[in-house]
Amino acid sequence: MAANNRHAHNMEHQPAMSTAQIGAKPPVIFAATPGNRSVAQDEAPVKVQIRNLNFYYGNFQALKNINLTLRDRRVTAFIGPSGCGKSTLLRILNRIYELYPGLRVEGEVLLDGENILAPGVDLNRLRAKIGMVFQKPTPFPMSIRDNIAFGIRLYEKLPQSELDDRIELALQRAALWDEVKDKLKQSGLSLSGGQQQRLCIARAIAVKPEILLLDEPASALDPISTQRIEELIDELKPDYCIAIVTHNMQQAARASDYTAFMYLGELIEFDETETIFTHPKERRTEDYITGRFG
Amino acid sequence: MPARRRLTGGIWVGASAVCATGVAAVLLLIMAYIAERGIGALSLSYLIHVPRPIGIPGGGVANGIVGSFIIVGIAALMAFPIGIFVGLYLGVYGYGPRAEGLAFVADVLAGVPSIAIGIYAYTVLVEPFRQFSAVSASFAFAVLMLPLVIRATEGAIKVVPRELREAATALGAPDHRVVGKILLAAARPGIVTGLLLALARVTGETAPLLFTAFGSQFWELDPTRPMAELSLQIFNYAISPYSEWHEQAWGGALLLIFAVFFLSLLARLSFLMQKGRGPGRAE
Amino acid sequence: MADQAIAIAEETTGVATPVLRQRDRTAARLFIISLRGSCVLFLIICGGLVAELVWGAQLSLRTFGVGFLWSSAWDPVTEHFGAAPFLYGTAVSSLISLALASAIGIMAGVFLAEFAPRKLGVSLGFLIELLAAVPSIVYGLWGLFVLAPFVSQWLGPALQDTLGFLPFFQGTIYGVNMLTAALILTLMILPTITAISRDLIEAMPMRYREASLALGATRWETVAQVVLPSVKRGIFGACMLAFGRALGETIATTMVIGNRPVISTSLFAPGYTVASVIANEFTEATTNLYLSALIELGLILLLISIIVIGLGRLMLRLLER
Repeated sequence: MAANNRHAHNMEHQPAMSTAQIGAKPPVIFAATPGNRSVAQDEAPVKVQIRNLNFYYGNFQALKNINLTLRDRRVTAFIGPSGCGKSTLLRILNRIYELYPGLRVEGEVLLDGENILAPGVDLNRLRAKIGMVFQKPTPFPMSIRDNIAFGIRLYEKLPQSELDDRIELALQRAALWDEVKDKLKQSGLSLSGGQQQRLCIARAIAVKPEILLLDEPASALDPISTQRIEELIDELKPDYCIAIVTHNMQQAARASDYTAFMYLGELIEFDETETIFTHPKERRTEDYITGRFG
Repeated sequence: MPARRRLTGGIWVGASAVCATGVAAVLLLIMAYIAERGIGALSLSYLIHVPRPIGIPGGGVANGIVGSFIIVGIAALMAFPIGIFVGLYLGVYGYGPRAEGLAFVADVLAGVPSIAIGIYAYTVLVEPFRQFSAVSASFAFAVLMLPLVIRATEGAIKVVPRELREAATALGAPDHRVVGKILLAAARPGIVTGLLLALARVTGETAPLLFTAFGSQFWELDPTRPMAELSLQIFNYAISPYSEWHEQAWGGALLLIFAVFFLSLLARLSFLMQKGRGPGRAE
Repeated sequence: MADQAIAIAEETTGVATPVLRQRDRTAARLFIISLRGSCVLFLIICGGLVAELVWGAQLSLRTFGVGFLWSSAWDPVTEHFGAAPFLYGTAVSSLISLALASAIGIMAGVFLAEFAPRKLGVSLGFLIELLAAVPSIVYGLWGLFVLAPFVSQWLGPALQDTLGFLPFFQGTIYGVNMLTAALILTLMILPTITAISRDLIEAMPMRYREASLALGATRWETVAQVVLPSVKRGIFGACMLAFGRALGETIATTMVIGNRPVISTSLFAPGYTVASVIANEFTEATTNLYLSALIELGLILLLISIIVIGLGRLMLRLLER
């Protein structure tokens, strides 16, 4: 996004189209969390509580004493200049960072009150509860159907017909069913970028997670695909706790209930999205969202 | 002095062109010569008969061809599983000094003279049983192939986009599923190519066979006994004093070149074809 | 429509906590165990190589001590064995081939990477790589029947006429001799040096060349003063790998070097290499000491090549960073 677009971010732009499509969703974003109500007053339960979180790449400290809560049925956006640690934070929540050596974490992340950073946590179970979608679409080198079935088969042994139902449900949920129902046997790589990304979302949903982590899910996509992803996020919100990393300010403003602004590994400001974008308390937040740096 | 500088440069460039085309030309001429001599020796009878004593016309290398397949085949059975597993370890968990050390050992092993590996096979599998055998030759070939298989597998795994592994892991998939279903599928073209090149590397390797497979004049299919092998037959024919046998050697050399070129070309083609349509594409 | 959406929402929301199937847990453990096990097995195989040769050489090591290295005796009847003629032959043949092949190979690599028209470069490169796979028995055969007569009838006399005053080109010209062996080795290691040099040069970022050309340097000057110096470590590594191959090459050398354990300054005289004597005499070694001496030769060859190859790999590896 060009810097001057950031000035033009626009609170009135709501994803009205998706509201019309599916009636059973909460009202538009800010209505769910009226601006004058404090974070603590939100009736949605706390899903994830991050306490005194520090993270190190070798000797480099990438996250500095982060404290934050993610609420169920809410979208929390993480913004900040690249390298601020927002993706790192997401990658701690499902402990995917452990794939690589030399990384170290301190502090606590409580998921429904249980510290997921504690030793002895069942990582497969944890990751089944937490779906993740990456910046680059990552369809597996197999058919569309098998892409979805891969995750389901890990946890459940289903008869063919039930498996098919689950695959259809997941694809419907990700608003992809109509586009792929006639070519489920084709390679996932044959889809367009935006479709691939929705396939990845469907794949994550199929495992029945409680939390969705979206790491810049639309940054590699064209504007129309981006819009579809944003609509999808909105549709999913009533059922999941969603955390989204984005470098796109309008996206954060449009799609999220809460916004966390991070800078150089620190959490500078965390508040309701409306507050962050209209009355930021911190000078650095204001500078960033108005495009003065970053 | 720009003119002089340009002239010097031109002479050097010319010299480098001569070197490159010269190398290719000399090597091509050698191949052409072997093809010419070899074609004369090749015949159906050459391909389907076992050697005959000197003085009796005819005779061929059929037992050597079959022996080559048996020896290389058993070697592949030994080397491929271990090599692919070590390569997977390096490709998937290959971080830190321990993995680097392992990769380095593989690289050095790739350069160890085959004759030394032949001695190794002799002391391990020939001496204790007091019998030359095809299996001992296969062991030597397996040791020769191992580093190639390891490095090819590691390389093919490492070029798979890391997001693919992360995405599978983030679903909660255990490593054996991530590797078996996702990474191996994506890395398959590179691994297949590596395996074929490893086969090409040992096809025609002669030195370790001298005191492992040892050679045989007869049909021999029992891998625990001495066995004929094509390149060994070429060697024995070549250093013999009889011109009829020299002819046989040329024919065998041509067959070997065919086999090696076939494997090398197949390796490249299979890579391109699988890459073209297959799931290995990065995007 | 809305009802359906709600139904879908309920179906796909977490209800039961998913737990990995038991079979998968066992398989996951087996998987990592077999990967680790393979690595251990591989290291045992590698360690076994060194250990077996050391063990087999015990008798010879104890009998001859370090004197083995410089003794030039090789008499199976009286059981006096020394490595000197073989070490000499190995060193001379492979050093000459290294000198020739590195000069020609690096030049050829430069041409393929920098100056050749694209199509020509690609096809020549492909050809040279393909020829690198040709088995050594094939080169040996050609060397024995074509190169050796050529050396004794044409190249040898020509060298004697022009450079005959040098000690290297004196005496009777045999066909199978040190020079023929060195030439065959040169042909065999040329593809390696050419291919790696080309790859290293091609991997150089374009901007270095542009900077040099912009300063007014000619293309050759750019290559000689900017490109080559920046990849010299890698090219040194490539030469070491090729040197290692020449040191250990067995069959081709055995067929053309003449196989006589003498140390002669003349390249026209037959010689012998470490690898060749093992190839020729291993199955004939009738006594334990004879066999042990041959295994000690194998051990020496192994250790030298580990050092040479290790050095080469280290250089190429440092360049990768």
